[in-house]
Amino acid sequence: MNSFRYIPASNKEIKKIYKFIGIKDKKELFYKIIGDISLIEEKDLSFMPDQMDELSLYKYFSDINDKLRHSGSIPVFAGGGIYDHYVPSAVDAIMSRAEFYTPYTPYQPEVSQGTLMALFEFQSMLASILGMDVVNASMYDGAESLAEAVLMSLRIYRQNRQTVPNAENNKKIKFLVSKSVNSVYIEVVKTFIKNLDIVIEFIDIDFEKGYTDADDLTEKLQKNKNVCAFIVQQPNYLGIIEDLEIIDKIVHSEKYAPSSKPHLIVCSSEPFSFGTITPPGFYNADIFAGEGNSFGNYMNFGGPLLGLFATKKEFIRQMPGRITGKSKDSKNQDAYQFILATREQHIRRQAATSNICTNNSLNALRAAVYLSLCSKEGFKEISLLNLKLSHILCEKLINTGLFSLKYTGNFYNEFVLEINNKNKKKNKKNSASVFINEMMKKGILAGISLEDGGNAVLIAVTEKIGIKDIDNYVKHSIEILS
Amino acid sequence: MKKFPGTSGLVFNEDLLLNQGSKGVSGINIPANNLGSAHMGKTAKDYIDAKFLRNEKKSPLLLPEVSESTVVRHFTRLSSWNICVDTAFYPLGSCTMKYNPKINETIASLSNIKNLHPMLPADYIQPILKIIYDFNSLLCGLTGLDEFTFNPQAGAAGEFTGMKIIKKYFEVKNERRNIVLIPDSSHGTNPASSYIAGFTPVELKTFFAAQHSSSEELQNAHDSGYGHDSAYIVNKIKNNDVNIKNKSNGYIDINELKKYINKDVAAIMITNPNTFGLFEKNIREVAELIHKNGSLVYMDGANFNAFIGNCRVSDFGVDILHLNLHKTFSTPHGGGGPGSGPVGVKDFLKEFLPVPYISAKKQATNDVPCASNNEQVPNDEQDCYYELKNEREYSIGRISSFYGNFAVILRAYSYLLSLGRQNISKISELAVLNANYMKKRLKDTFLESDPFPEELCMHECVLNDNVFRAEGISTLDFAKSIIDYGFHPPTIYFPKNIHGAIMIEPTETESIKTMDSFIDAMKEIKKKGNKYASKSPKSTKTKRLNEVLANKNPVFK
Repeated sequence: MNSFRYIPASNKEIKKIYKFIGIKDKKELFYKIIGDISLIEEKDLSFMPDQMDELSLYKYFSDINDKLRHSGSIPVFAGGGIYDHYVPSAVDAIMSRAEFYTPYTPYQPEVSQGTLMALFEFQSMLASILGMDVVNASMYDGAESLAEAVLMSLRIYRQNRQTVPNAENNKKIKFLVSKSVNSVYIEVVKTFIKNLDIVIEFIDIDFEKGYTDADDLTEKLQKNKNVCAFIVQQPNYLGIIEDLEIIDKIVHSEKYAPSSKPHLIVCSSEPFSFGTITPPGFYNADIFAGEGNSFGNYMNFGGPLLGLFATKKEFIRQMPGRITGKSKDSKNQDAYQFILATREQHIRRQAATSNICTNNSLNALRAAVYLSLCSKEGFKEISLLNLKLSHILCEKLINTGLFSLKYTGNFYNEFVLEINNKNKKKNKKNSASVFINEMMKKGILAGISLEDGGNAVLIAVTEKIGIKDIDNYVKHSIEILS
Repeated sequence: MKKFPGTSGLVFNEDLLLNQGSKGVSGINIPANNLGSAHMGKTAKDYIDAKFLRNEKKSPLLLPEVSESTVVRHFTRLSSWNICVDTAFYPLGSCTMKYNPKINETIASLSNIKNLHPMLPADYIQPILKIIYDFNSLLCGLTGLDEFTFNPQAGAAGEFTGMKIIKKYFEVKNERRNIVLIPDSSHGTNPASSYIAGFTPVELKTFFAAQHSSSEELQNAHDSGYGHDSAYIVNKIKNNDVNIKNKSNGYIDINELKKYINKDVAAIMITNPNTFGLFEKNIREVAELIHKNGSLVYMDGANFNAFIGNCRVSDFGVDILHLNLHKTFSTPHGGGGPGSGPVGVKDFLKEFLPVPYISAKKQATNDVPCASNNEQVPNDEQDCYYELKNEREYSIGRISSFYGNFAVILRAYSYLLSLGRQNISKISELAVLNANYMKKRLKDTFLESDPFPEELCMHECVLNDNVFRAEGISTLDFAKSIIDYGFHPPTIYFPKNIHGAIMIEPTETESIKTMDSFIDAMKEIKKKGNKYASKSPKSTKTKRLNEVLANKNPVFK
């Protein structure tokens, strides 16, 4: 019996190959190739476990899966950029087809039409949901996508200002960033721009309403000469819907742009809400960089996710990543292939718009299948259900008198509650993280603590949450907090 | 059975889903929920300001209107137009298209595991953190490095992370070093990643005839500082004609390297084995030279499948390495991703790794660290408590939304457990054997195309187009022709400094019969000649594409 199940060569055949290429054994083979670099000996492999047959392997992970039942099959009220939406069985069934999950990137379009046409449909559907002209074939995740959007804004900025006198250009370039953008995303942006002589200036939020303070934005635009772009999130990290109409007017106003080219708006977001609210493309967002995991993907402990990237047609040549386009074959049939590849690293090397090569294509395909299943009306309804459920929970929790709404602006399916201190002594129970831990003991992931040691909880609700789960949340909160 | 797997048969047509809908049809039903009469009939404007609501007239939603059955048939038909690892030999050089074990898919889709929110309190995700921690120990053992980060989502993200670490390392040392040396045989991501990380990539020639005044050009690159001029200079160096017949060899030339080394060099970024499929025999000497200059050695581990389990990168002087779990570690490539590109470093660079990272201590309540690396994995006797931490003295910061692609890491871990001590070294042995088998079997017909006829290759072999070209067959023609025989084409036109390159990587999971069949197909294509090859593929639904049209007038939605 051959010793390992993934290797088709029998021991006899292995010997045959050695003989055929004129090599005695493994030692000689590697010696001839790598010279006198020492080979790992068997005794040096003691750190490796014993090989596992498939059944043992299954049992091992199945046990782990069982141990996780109090974390992986509980109602999830935590969001913060990743949401627990239901994935229809048809998504899993289609995506478990090896024809989709085992090929490489479609470098040979004639034998990759399935992936390419599905990606084309993904791009089309997302473009419509976001109201943007052009969507690429995916990035890694929301954070990396935003960082790439910042780099792209820089390219556009530099291109626009080639004719501006140098003295102006040598000033540090600024990005204005709303304080309501996911702070983790901004940390990732900072990693990307660390050596680029760029300054980030934050725009305040209206601390009653929870959305970007338009006056502060106006003021900082007036004060700063070298602003490249304004970064906003819709709905923002606090769950509040931003008034993109006003932001569009302020940021794109020629009044504040020193040259004839207006500032850019870069919008980050998780687009489930766009079945209900107006998408950023409608308000002239220049670049959209978001997280699409909610569409047909599992949370997978944070990865892989689905980085979304979209822009206006005029900026297509500055876009990072792969773009699927429609073409014709030699028989004049419709056919699909990657286009504008001269932007990419395998052709342009360091002059490419990005270093990205592998992306999250399979996650994009999951989104395509999911959105197709939802269809037009289904997507609107499921989006509305998220909105309703979150408002129901919010209302019920406030009615207990134990919580108050921290920000009163309009929200979609996520909101911030503060745990009231009331008449009681300042009690440890009122810290958000203690509350979340106590709720975990009841089998509920109650939310995310908004800041370390604070009493604010960021709570999200999806369609997976039933009214029963909502009532349990309320019941256990009362038990824990009163 | 006939000699080749490729044949022709019924192929389904399928229109875009958007053209198949009927108004009001949907593929899901909305979950029934007793919302109560107070909320049942309400619409969005009862909850939020009407000015925020999506307006169908102003921003119409162009989604298909189709049933579940229509969606399933649509995508199933689409899938039938793909060639994949499970249907065909896929010898795509440098991509390591090995078999993707099914048990790994089963494990990754266990319901509690795939439904974990990444911000669960640490107490509730101990087994998950342990998987990442234990996987780290295995990778450290296999590479000889001291710690890995799993945050990079793919190979290029790993390169970027590694380059950022190098950048920060010299910042902390208060040295200004801007140049990263990259052999011309590297993947395109190498120069792109180093450039985005703030370096000036400078190309090292490995395959040249005439010497050129490279050090002078290098000086210019330095003078122009970190900026766009470097691309121009590299192009200038590149444009020196390469005479293939008088080539030296495919290795880094030590004397050439010496000309480039100076105090501005931060690192060398080296793919080993390189994209000619050759192991850099003098890599220790290279590393020594680089280290003597105070610079670091970064290795692109995309081709780790060539020696996993047989030698360690620490034994030839590598300081930083990225691995591609979607190559060497058998995780499926997903038609373009997701991947995972963990980065490993030597001890002195640990504090530069990105955050968050996982730390382990004996118990939740004390600070005694858990031993790692030398421990047996999976280690169930030792009772450790795992935490995600954000504090690291010189960390380059965060690079991803959460902790990288966990579901990919899980598959790779499961792969290593299934291999175990007994099989880990067989993988690369067989990958190398298979590649050399193909190389030698091709010699009778393609000797004139082998740029390195005297050498053994590693996990892949490279041909130029001399033999095919003599028949009037371009490399592209060959690639399209082999499709009809039932194979995925090899990587073509890369590495770029081999004329009309054809790069074949069989991997260890292919049989002699399969390789023989592919080789026979190659010989047959050569025999059939130009007239046949230029019209291929013939049996696919889609024939050869019009690239010019697609790019001239881009249609992307």
